Amino acid sequence: MMDRTLTATRMGLLDQIRRPLLVVMLAVIPIIFITWGAKATPLTPHRLTLPDGTRVLSDTRAIMTVMDVPVAIAFLGGLVGVFVVTAALQSDRRLVVAGYTPTEVIVPRLVVLTLAVLVISVVSLVVMAFTFTPNLWGPFIVGNVLAGLTYAELGALAGALIGRLGAVYLMFFLPNIDIGIAQDPLFFNGDPQAWARGLPGYGPTRMIVESSFAKDFTAVGALLPALAWFVGLTVILVLVLRHEVK
Amino acid sequence: MTGLALATSEFVRQHVRNRVTLVMLVVIPALFVVFAASALGELSKSLGGDVTGSAATSLGAGWASAFLGGILGFFQVSSSRDSDRRLSLAGMGGTRVALARIGACIALSLLAALVAFFVLWADTGIDQPGRALAAILAFGFIYVGIGALVGSLVHDELTGSLIVALVFIMDIYAGPGMSGSSGTAKITPTRKSSEVLMSAVGGAAPSTADWLAVGGTALGALLIAFAAFWFAARPRT
Repeated sequence: MMDRTLTATRMGLLDQIRRPLLVVMLAVIPIIFITWGAKATPLTPHRLTLPDGTRVLSDTRAIMTVMDVPVAIAFLGGLVGVFVVTAALQSDRRLVVAGYTPTEVIVPRLVVLTLAVLVISVVSLVVMAFTFTPNLWGPFIVGNVLAGLTYAELGALAGALIGRLGAVYLMFFLPNIDIGIAQDPLFFNGDPQAWARGLPGYGPTRMIVESSFAKDFTAVGALLPALAWFVGLTVILVLVLRHEVK
Repeated sequence: MTGLALATSEFVRQHVRNRVTLVMLVVIPALFVVFAASALGELSKSLGGDVTGSAATSLGAGWASAFLGGILGFFQVSSSRDSDRRLSLAGMGGTRVALARIGACIALSLLAALVAFFVLWADTGIDQPGRALAAILAFGFIYVGIGALVGSLVHDELTGSLIVALVFIMDIYAGPGMSGSSGTAKITPTRKSSEVLMSAVGGAAPSTADWLAVGGTALGALLIAFAAFWFAARPRT
């Protein structure tokens, strides 16, 4: 069983890597998005209220750069999720008919998604590091990876349930509205509006904002909704994919 | 002519036969305009753009129309390449297939643009509605051309979607709403459409030269889309 899962995973990764332009685009988009956003933003002082209530003085360029990272990771992760799953559904059904178990075809897709999000995250974080250094790297990285994984799963789910085109439309706008607007501390003072706290980007961005500007990480409460979205979506995605490949 | 109209309506039906896709074409521009309206003025100010207030918020309608147009143009080429070639070989010819595809793109772009326009009108108010609608539609047409061009050159759908997104991101960041109206802002595809849209919302009258630039860019983009559709549907020997 392990051999077949590893083979399917290797094939899934090869399928992505053999398209060099795709790999280039996954690297180029975060570079342009984050670098250009930072260069275009003036160094205007901006007072920021952190999730723990502390008020700090930062600047618009730093906040813009910090928030561009999860937007880029979530947006790219979501699109990768849509295409990895929709492109594989037909072949996965055939694999199941040929004797693979649903688990053996679903696990490789999740591994490919996770690795894609990790690659996008590494590129985005390295690019950001030229402009901004967060106070606490650990929770900052965890928050960004969680944002990417959550949106990759949302993209995969949308692709499986509503089809490729509708899912592409959705995955372009959802991360931008959620993380890019609703959770962006440039647009509010303190906590986001009540409706925004129910969105998948709330937990990760609270972690990201606090770890960027606070001296100690106290936003453990933000980790709970972030993990709840991630675990909940993983369970739903596995159930949907099991149903789709049978 | 009847055959062309039938093919156009079939291409539209093909695109929206998944009801969720149709819902997305309607709901996404509406949501984006509403959410962007609350943030764009502040964002433009933070980024050093030249515009603020309702003029800045109006850009959300253009951007929604643009991105939907880009993805629409891309998938009209990318997902229909083989069937269009068969249609062409079966007697319809590459030119008529391309015209039908352009007709479908215009109809679907019009739908997205109308939704964005009415939501913007209700949310922010527009001093010159006709001009604003024309500008929003121009955003969509320009990106139909960009999407179709990418679709004709890049076969992989994920890579192609990312290229359309990259062009869109660069256009937004370099555009007059974000980076001012100098330097790179002068060469972005939707610069003139942005200026006309912002002036229409704010009550100023765009110059004839601006209108010619917007019309010329939109027409040029549709011609590029036509060439891309024809190129994808042409019979191979």
